[in-house]
Amino acid sequence: MGLLSNILYDTIYHSTPIILCVIGGMFAYKANVLNIALEGMMLNGAFVATLVMFFSGSLPLSIFLAVLSTLVYGFIFSILGISYRGNVIVVGLAINLITSAIAGFVMQIMGTANITLQNVNIANYKIHIPLIGKVPLLGSIISGHPPITYLAFIGIACSYVLMYKTRFGIYVRVAGENEDSASSLGIKVNYYKYAAVLIGAFCCALAGVNLSVERLGLYTNDMTAGRGFIAIAAIYCGQGRPVLSSMYAILFGVARALAVNLSIYAGPASGLFDIIPYIIMVAVLAIVSGVKYKNIKERGLGSAM
Amino acid sequence: MSKEKQLIKSILNSILPILLAFIIGGIVIAGIGENPLSTYWILLEKSFLTSTGFMNTLHYASPLIITGLAIAVTFKANLYNMGVEGQLLLGGFFAGICGAYIHNMNPLLHKLICFAVGILCGMLFALIPAILKAKCGVNEMVVTLMLNYAMAKLLEFLSTGVFRDLSSGYVATPTIAEGAMFSRFGRSRLTMFFFIAIVVLIIMYIVMKKSKLGYELTALGMNPEFSEAVGMNTGKKTIVLMLLSGALAGLAGAGFMMSEQFKYTLSFSGTPGLGWDGMLIALLGGHSPIGILIAAVFYSALKTGSDNINMYTNVPKEIVALIQGLIILFLAVKFISDNRDIFARFKKVGKDKKEAA
Repeated sequence: MGLLSNILYDTIYHSTPIILCVIGGMFAYKANVLNIALEGMMLNGAFVATLVMFFSGSLPLSIFLAVLSTLVYGFIFSILGISYRGNVIVVGLAINLITSAIAGFVMQIMGTANITLQNVNIANYKIHIPLIGKVPLLGSIISGHPPITYLAFIGIACSYVLMYKTRFGIYVRVAGENEDSASSLGIKVNYYKYAAVLIGAFCCALAGVNLSVERLGLYTNDMTAGRGFIAIAAIYCGQGRPVLSSMYAILFGVARALAVNLSIYAGPASGLFDIIPYIIMVAVLAIVSGVKYKNIKERGLGSAM
Repeated sequence: MSKEKQLIKSILNSILPILLAFIIGGIVIAGIGENPLSTYWILLEKSFLTSTGFMNTLHYASPLIITGLAIAVTFKANLYNMGVEGQLLLGGFFAGICGAYIHNMNPLLHKLICFAVGILCGMLFALIPAILKAKCGVNEMVVTLMLNYAMAKLLEFLSTGVFRDLSSGYVATPTIAEGAMFSRFGRSRLTMFFFIAIVVLIIMYIVMKKSKLGYELTALGMNPEFSEAVGMNTGKKTIVLMLLSGALAGLAGAGFMMSEQFKYTLSFSGTPGLGWDGMLIALLGGHSPIGILIAAVFYSALKTGSDNINMYTNVPKEIVALIQGLIILFLAVKFISDNRDIFARFKKVGKDKKEAA
């Protein structure tokens, strides 16, 4: 029982940053801009939030500056990748390298290998939901997460509404599906692409704050460990649909939670358990794409991507 | 357009991003109260103007030439093999294992075995995304990016457990046998591996410029639908190119193991890693073998220089990683396009914005 509730709690815990990245990345996916800078944006959010928290001790300020600085990266990405039509994959990779280099540079000047927040007690961030918190199994799973975790799960619903029930969402999708017809209808294609990338930057910044300040109270370089790419894989599997893509993000959370909780019993092989989540995502990606590919081939609709 | 003009444009397109990146890097250096010019001078002096320094630069360029080629071969065909880093690590790791666990062998044969194992490992690891791409249409970029993490974790597991050298104070595999090591020339670090890299470069030049495969990969990169329509088996070509790329990555890893590292540590390929450096080199060199050679030497100079920056100034050597990132960022945009000059481009964007507004 204890193990089960631990695994379920950790599932939510590990899903959160990926869900946020998925929400952020799928608007760009739908707008036909492949944003592989999710990783770097998340890292930047984590770094700036921890740095500001280290010096000021103010959580609102650190969240604000983390979001603001990540939006700057979103703008750089958009200007070079959308306005100047640079190769978005290359721009994204560059941002991933730059954010990690800047963090390393600053930490080298500060003379530390990682930033540990002494002034933060992460237990204080955990929200204990009054009524549900009392329910035996459910309470220990759902209650006791930091605020951004709840925000992420609410965000799935919000992104669904934004994507399918508002004019904004429709225009983003139209801009992505057929740029020429969209602009012939008077839709400002670039405006919607910019917006899609900036939503991504915003969500990734929050994911970074969650990863560093809220959960661990410390920052180490490259702590995002490929979560941004996992989010991209989840978006691909779910074809950019909010709920479906988020389900794949949660699937990764399950894999990670299982790996963490079961590795205790594995003894010396426990190091191998870290690999499982990545392998599972590749396998799922292969199965989902394989089925899609077969359908396309059988129906003979165009060439497969 | 005349060929000469085009060449000037492509050179300018490579140099402008470098200049911009160095200017921004200089501002950052000035921002922390150091002199950017003297920092850059140390970088230049220590990596180009002394004979030992220059030979070291060539030495560190050797694996970069090969990883640059590994990236170029796929990028040019619009395949994004981001797994060069992982393929290189795997190749280097098992080349190192063969180097350490085989004893009393003819030195030449020993090196050949290590290279063969490295190449084989690189190819095997590249085969996974290649088959997934060709048979299921899985995006190869996402797969290779994720498998890199899985590979790093797997090798961490192997080097801390099964293959750990217990006599070493930190996590490392046993040092390879003397027969598997390349000997150095004089006081510099330069070894035969550099000349192997040059031979590989010449072979790849012939493959990319003169062979049928080279023509096909250019066609594949320019228009995959057309290539398929005229009867090219794009799936098969994808696998061949990925295997070639993986083989090169594995070769680079094995060579780096035998000429520089001699054992696998957790920071085997450094930060951000030889595979990632290869990406910058391929972009900088415009995916052409000669461009890659120049870019690799240039970038290697940056790298050897960065250690000296750390030694002789107070500037953290991460500045070089920052400059590298900025170069890639600016390289993504062609400042001078094929048929318009830079000013027309700016004007056009202005006009677009006006039209949009």
